[in-house]
Amino acid sequence: MATVTLNQAQKTYPNGFKAIHGIDLKIEDGEFTVLVGPSGCGKSTLLRMIAGLESISDGEISIDDKVVNKIAPADRDIAMVFQNYALYPHMNNYDNMAYGLKNRGYSKAEIDTKVREAARILQLDDHLERKPRQLSGGQRQRVAMGRAIVREPKVFLFDEPLSNLDAKLRVDMRLEIKNLQQRLGITSVYVTHDQVEAMTLADRLIVMNGGIAEQIGSPIDIYEKPASQFVAGFIGSPAMNFLKGKVSDDKKHVTFGDGVMLDLDYDVEAGREVTVGIRPEHLDLLQDGEGRINAPVRMVESLGAETLVYLDFGANADNVTLRLQGTHQFAKGDQLSLSVPANKIHLFDIDSGKRL
Amino acid sequence: MKRVQFEHSAVPYLFIAPQILIISIFFLWPAAQALYQSFLLEDAFGLSSQFVWFRNFEDVLSSSSWTRSAIFTVVFSVLVSVLSIAISLFLAVRADEVIRGAKTYKTLLMWGYAIAPPVAGLLGNMMFNPLMGDLYKAFNSFGFEFNHIQNANDAAFVVILIAVWKQVSVNFIFFLSGLQGIPKSVQEAATLDCKSPERRFWTITFPLLAPTTFFLLVINLTYAFFETFGIIDVSTKGAPGGSTATLVYKVYVDGFLGADMGGSAAQSVLLMIMVSVLTVFQFRFIERKVHY
Repeated sequence: MATVTLNQAQKTYPNGFKAIHGIDLKIEDGEFTVLVGPSGCGKSTLLRMIAGLESISDGEISIDDKVVNKIAPADRDIAMVFQNYALYPHMNNYDNMAYGLKNRGYSKAEIDTKVREAARILQLDDHLERKPRQLSGGQRQRVAMGRAIVREPKVFLFDEPLSNLDAKLRVDMRLEIKNLQQRLGITSVYVTHDQVEAMTLADRLIVMNGGIAEQIGSPIDIYEKPASQFVAGFIGSPAMNFLKGKVSDDKKHVTFGDGVMLDLDYDVEAGREVTVGIRPEHLDLLQDGEGRINAPVRMVESLGAETLVYLDFGANADNVTLRLQGTHQFAKGDQLSLSVPANKIHLFDIDSGKRL
Repeated sequence: MKRVQFEHSAVPYLFIAPQILIISIFFLWPAAQALYQSFLLEDAFGLSSQFVWFRNFEDVLSSSSWTRSAIFTVVFSVLVSVLSIAISLFLAVRADEVIRGAKTYKTLLMWGYAIAPPVAGLLGNMMFNPLMGDLYKAFNSFGFEFNHIQNANDAAFVVILIAVWKQVSVNFIFFLSGLQGIPKSVQEAATLDCKSPERRFWTITFPLLAPTTFFLLVINLTYAFFETFGIIDVSTKGAPGGSTATLVYKVYVDGFLGADMGGSAAQSVLLMIMVSVLTVFQFRFIERKVHY
């Protein structure tokens, strides 16, 4: 199969804007890599550079140890699934899938076998004679996937393929994509801004911000040890709580403005000002008065399986989100008593945002 | 399609009344008059007339000058339409690819749109003037014995050149907007599926532009039939010897200059029938094939 290697890949637009600031990455054979980040972080640009739809300003991109910087998109042996499907509206679904094969000189019989096989896998058998506009969004996205599968490329590229689908369909298709990729074992690069998609699909996750890769690692590694405040805030939903704190003189605690103190399991110099990160699901609700943190309820959101509680914390009434399993009845102003295990506290540098 | 129902109300008729009024005054009434007049034989001063049934039509259809003009009109219309569509499609595709200075290119290519046909005819007239016309001199200096005043083919070339030049900008605007209406991702998907740009154009871009092309074909044939009147009147006036007179121009020459009202009316009725048949044909047989 194939590996994809990025060696200081950079993208600078003619107007001087630098979209990608040099990224090093090696995607292993059969690996499902997800690029995630907020809009404008350069994740789509990077994907399009691999596809050949954007030129590479500096550095190298190789597929299977062959530098592809100057190779035409059609010759890179990649297939791409677009956000808005990008099907050819004047062709029926069969021809949509067959088009890439026809142009590569396959015989009619071969094309027919491949297209029918892909249609069978994607349950499109009954829709091959129809035009794309006669299909629903989910079916269209399947045709787009079929168009990618029939080519049996070295690399699959996905550019936010599920963004145009409704919530339920998105979950179904997500599972289908994962399933398909594991079955076919094709190296894949997937771009999304949805962190749930990113966490569930990825063998390896790349969190991007402002044209650089903030962190590369397995989804769980990134969740448990975010390399920066940005990554910590982006991965996990609801987002991690950030509070300003100070490391105590004995280095065993972190203190907040109004005397609240939490246990610390960190090797940091005493007296240092830090940003403290606590995930909403790591705050434990205790009996009244037993916890280290006491804060009044501002708002409650009940989701059935879980309850999100928004609290006013400390003298500045900073927002702290608490995530509880099951349903809970709280009124605005109720005082809750909370604690956090020392190993669930993350510390970040106040200026650089880097993990300490 | 959802339909709004007005139950036996006068409102919808009120809304289309202005359009009906305009069509009645400027099309239905004159058309009816032309039809009536085509059955009459009038004296040169319009003082007396007599009903002659189809004699005017018989005269027109048996006259060699009308047949020649009809053939010229068909050749002229097909050439003008095909050439101006082909050239403007080429220009639009190229202009769509331009990145630096794209606006300037597009503006310059659209400029011709602002020029009225008689003015285009006048420009052509000056460029082909035997005494001072640059194009006239250029052609002759290359060794062609170019003389549109005496040679019917050369004259036809001049009229076609002006008519095409005038129409290219109109078609260009439609093609450009048609091209911009093709989603970028569809074109990108095509670059991944097909390496050759030419093949991509004929298998993806051109089929997606087919509705635009069809629309322009209808518009351009109508243009070549009718609107080129101004160009012909200013440049060749049908010369030499009526060889560059389209049917519309001949209607004018025979009716208003030749004072043969009945014959001229019969010609215009024939023209009307021809255009109707052509339009029905286009919509019945071509339109179905171009929409996706």
